[in-house]
Amino acid sequence: MTGTERDKLCPLLFIMQITLIIFSILLALSVAAYFFGCRRAVAIAQGNIRNLHSLPEHYGFYAAIWCGLPALLVLGLWTVFETPIMTHLVVSELPRTFQELEPGRLNLVINDIKNMANGIIVSEETDPNLLAAADRYRSLQSMGQAALAVVVLTLALGCGSVALYLIRAKQRARNRVETIVKGLLFVCSCIAILATIGIVLSVVFESIRFFKLVPVSDFLFGLKWSPQTAIRVDQVGGSGAFGAVPLFVGTLLISLIAMVVSVPVGLMSAIYLSEYASRSFRAVAKPLLEILAGIPTVVYGFFAAIMVAPFIRDTGSRFGFDVASESALAAGLVMGIMIIPFVSSLSDDVINAVPQSLRDGSYALGATQSETIQRVVIPAALPGIVSGILLAVSRAVGETMIVVMAAGLSANLTLNPFETVTTVTVQIVTLLTGDQEFDSAKTLAAFALGLLLFTVTLILNVIALYIVRKYREEYE
Amino acid sequence: MKKEEHIMGKIEPAIPFPNSRFVHQQTLKRGRAIRSDQIAGQEIQETVGEIRLDDPRLSCRDVSVFYGDKQALRGINLDIGRHEVFAMIGPSGCGKSTFLRCFNRMNDTISNCRVTGTIMMDGRDINHNETDPVSLRVRVGMVFQKPNPFPKSIWENVAFGPRIHHLAKTKEGLHEIVVKSLQQAGLWDEVKDRLHQAGLGLSGGQQQRLCIARTIAIHPEVILMDEPCSALDPIATGKIEELINTLRKDYTICIVTHSMQQASRISDRTAYFHLGNLVEVGETKKIFINPLHPLTEDYITGRLG
Amino acid sequence: MNKQLKKRYAADLRFRIYGMSAVAMSLLFLLLLFVSIIGKGYTAFQQTALLLDVYIDSETIDPEGTRDRAVLSSADFGAVIKQAMQKIFPEVSDRRDKRALYRLVSSGAEFKLRDQVLAHPEQIGKTLPIWVPADGDVDMLMKGSIARDASETDRPLKDKQIAWIDHLISEGRLKKQWNTTFFSAGDSRDPELAGIGGALAGSLLTLFVTLLLSFPIGVAAAVYLERFAPRNRWTDLIEVNINNLAAVPSIVFGLLGLAVFINLFGLPRSAPIVGGLVLSLMTLPTIIIAGRASLKSVPPSIYEAALAIGASQMQAVMHHVLPMAMPGIMTGTIIGMARALGETAPLLMIGMVAFIVDIPGGIFDSSTVLPVQIFLWADSPERGFMERTAAAIMVLLLFLIVMNATAVILRKRFEGHR
Repeated sequence: MTGTERDKLCPLLFIMQITLIIFSILLALSVAAYFFGCRRAVAIAQGNIRNLHSLPEHYGFYAAIWCGLPALLVLGLWTVFETPIMTHLVVSELPRTFQELEPGRLNLVINDIKNMANGIIVSEETDPNLLAAADRYRSLQSMGQAALAVVVLTLALGCGSVALYLIRAKQRARNRVETIVKGLLFVCSCIAILATIGIVLSVVFESIRFFKLVPVSDFLFGLKWSPQTAIRVDQVGGSGAFGAVPLFVGTLLISLIAMVVSVPVGLMSAIYLSEYASRSFRAVAKPLLEILAGIPTVVYGFFAAIMVAPFIRDTGSRFGFDVASESALAAGLVMGIMIIPFVSSLSDDVINAVPQSLRDGSYALGATQSETIQRVVIPAALPGIVSGILLAVSRAVGETMIVVMAAGLSANLTLNPFETVTTVTVQIVTLLTGDQEFDSAKTLAAFALGLLLFTVTLILNVIALYIVRKYREEYE
Repeated sequence: MKKEEHIMGKIEPAIPFPNSRFVHQQTLKRGRAIRSDQIAGQEIQETVGEIRLDDPRLSCRDVSVFYGDKQALRGINLDIGRHEVFAMIGPSGCGKSTFLRCFNRMNDTISNCRVTGTIMMDGRDINHNETDPVSLRVRVGMVFQKPNPFPKSIWENVAFGPRIHHLAKTKEGLHEIVVKSLQQAGLWDEVKDRLHQAGLGLSGGQQQRLCIARTIAIHPEVILMDEPCSALDPIATGKIEELINTLRKDYTICIVTHSMQQASRISDRTAYFHLGNLVEVGETKKIFINPLHPLTEDYITGRLG
Repeated sequence: MNKQLKKRYAADLRFRIYGMSAVAMSLLFLLLLFVSIIGKGYTAFQQTALLLDVYIDSETIDPEGTRDRAVLSSADFGAVIKQAMQKIFPEVSDRRDKRALYRLVSSGAEFKLRDQVLAHPEQIGKTLPIWVPADGDVDMLMKGSIARDASETDRPLKDKQIAWIDHLISEGRLKKQWNTTFFSAGDSRDPELAGIGGALAGSLLTLFVTLLLSFPIGVAAAVYLERFAPRNRWTDLIEVNINNLAAVPSIVFGLLGLAVFINLFGLPRSAPIVGGLVLSLMTLPTIIIAGRASLKSVPPSIYEAALAIGASQMQAVMHHVLPMAMPGIMTGTIIGMARALGETAPLLMIGMVAFIVDIPGGIFDSSTVLPVQIFLWADSPERGFMERTAAAIMVLLLFLIVMNATAVILRKRFEGHR
């Protein structure tokens, strides 16, 4: 989308701005209700707030909540359901021929209508029916906005004044306000669940659509991946190959290289820092390692693509190896570096959680420090370390930027680290960036890959968290 | 860091209150007040009782221990004989555990801990540069306050020491050592059917005996016991005391204890520590029936501590 | 026995050395990363400029003499620049040579001149010394990134052009200046005109939305879960969910943003509002977990003391416990924000990879963010973009280090007060 295109989006922007304006007015009304509530409470108490059940500001809050909350709810619901309802209305008025289109095609038509309504000229020849629908859509939109403004503001004023009117000295304003606030807090804590549900639904729905086009078995066990050769919109389910096995193998190969780098280095760093290092060295080295953890992945990607990959290629060719310039080794190596601090800080935590008494017991038996660490501390911390490694694997599998920038696009089915492989995340990015028709198998495949990625990492995380929990119980 | 907390935690409990510094200072002040009352006019100069022995196993001269700037032990002079059970008693924080940890150089593992003076074991200085702490600890075993079996099987727990010191050539030889140690520790009959189950699955008393078995598996000459029964119930305590009684013919045993009854039951000689000073040493009977130092008497009669 | 012991000590030493080398290796990687990025990027903070004595010919730009802004802004300033170049090298007459000569000046030069003339119309008809940006290749040559001794076919600048450049240098007309364009401009196809201004503004807007959403919601959720939630299945579920959400790959959040915020709710693509929404979902678990830890560390005596003097549960938490936990929550929030600032993958999904020249003015404008800008530039073949990528990384890392340092200082200061 270029800068000039942006200006054409104005109608949509206009609606957003209207919503924002309504929101601001609501906010102002609530603040006003708060002050009126406080004043009225003081007035009812005849200046002596001891006569009141609650503090004046509780009455103020109470009025403000009544003024703002119902109106806000309506506003929120409207914002969520506006588009689907309008679409439904407009579609129901379209001629039969359009309504009988299959869902994929119909969606495209709807998109065209919306774009026209928003002032974007669609390149194809425009059907007068569609133009009419676009006009209808636009008028519905502005009508809706006007109605919304009226309803919301009336609701706010009405509820607010009723609440103000009903203020009494014996009213349990504080308890009510607190109940409502508690409810709000609860709602906030449920956002995490909403997010998970949102993730699951968004990937599952699109995946189901994808699996209607491409059978699940072809996707999971197919050996050939070439979505780019696939499909124009009118020949859905065409010849594209969606066998994801090369992607799994590529992802596993790169993750494996990353683990081979990060687990020994991370674990040994953690051991050295927590068991051997002097306090002053630890005070310097730990924050430095944390810097390594705080570097954005895009920076690692740049490092991999510009420094490491050419270095490996040149070194390889010096020894007579033929190394691809986007080799799995480069991506895996840099990913390993990225994960070192992750492994080391998780291991550090669990190693420190091993009780000192076990170390003392081992030393008292005449064990050297390394014997104590290898035979007592590490075995005792093993569950924690294993779960840390699982989390690290999950991280490696889901890591995107490094592989997008340093690994290739060609889906080779190989275990040779010097060759180019591609991963699940790389394919998601390539399938979804750039021009997209939202209903082609190509874009839907990205969601199927996303579902797979989510499931795998979820399983890894759940196992890891379960082990950690178990392990904590053992020492607490 | 963590290791210091382990020790310092005993001495200065953190008070979880925002202005804890203030509260804490007050308690400290009060503590000091009690102290000066108690010791008023009886500045401890020299240890009372029989310090010296002929042919001692361990012989300490002018041993002091510092944690950073804080002095935990002040110039201890003491001999410990062969095949005797030697008990150390005293109020909390008097330095008896610290003193015990000097004998196998466990204080080395605490970063800001410093030991001065000489401790001779069979005529050789254990703090000497050439004395290797690892081989020292083979000769001086230790049992801790809280049973600390490794999170491994019972068999592995006992085999740990012999294995790292290569005491057995074959697996059969190792098993023999394990069986013998468990028998010596009086645990064999209870665990012979579950040698490969986790040591942490045993009861507290059994765990402590497992730790003793683990210690005697490497044939030490001295066994240090740091309040070995304080985490156990009376029945388990009885069993451990019985065990100590059978071990006395083979080993020198130094035991720190809070329980004066225990000291009087099992020990041959007893030492009384007070605020980092060794106040009195003597035969256990003498100490308990006729203490020479007023502080010892106060402690034994329950007026102090 | 003694031999045995020696072997054991040797093993101990070996193990220790392994540990030391692991730490050394990690630190070496860190050093390597910083050195290579700074080494590649520091040159981008300077930019080669070319001094031209431009005769602002009213015949060319305003033949009718109206001084109308519309006429002036669409006038052919390129021709004016070319005349100025021609004046320095009067001997160049061949058409192809002329074109090669004009290529030494950046296409941004005419815009700079236009803006200057629009601001000062009285300068029309006068000769004006003005520093204009040189072409990217000239810049690269000045910085030594294009080797002079390479064969002519291997380098983008031909021998003739290098001779002209040398002449310009000898006349003092070529100079490296502090690169303000890099900080103020938006993206561009020409490296010498590209800057991170647009991306910085986009990042700022996105983070603003993220903070606005995730901080209140995160704190509210932490307070609820730590102080009010009953111990039941539902609370357990929420907890498991939060822990899991913290470990979900970031790209999956991008899919969520694409499917829900863009396709379902119809929010504009590439806009900071969508980026902020997605990032706030990702930041929430961090804030909630940090918030809970911080609330847990407030001594219960405070809460009980407040209850004892007649405060309600809510008042005790809001007026006493929460303020004491605030430093910890802030630390967690800053760390979460730092992570959001560096996040790239989910933003690719919601279309923030677009090529955007304008600097975004609001949260509904199309924009990009700094890490995505880095990703885009890293892909560009021109040499000039390489140093700009590295320089943009330096700016990003600077922001991150400042944020993390603030968090650390905050934690240190308030730990002392406890």
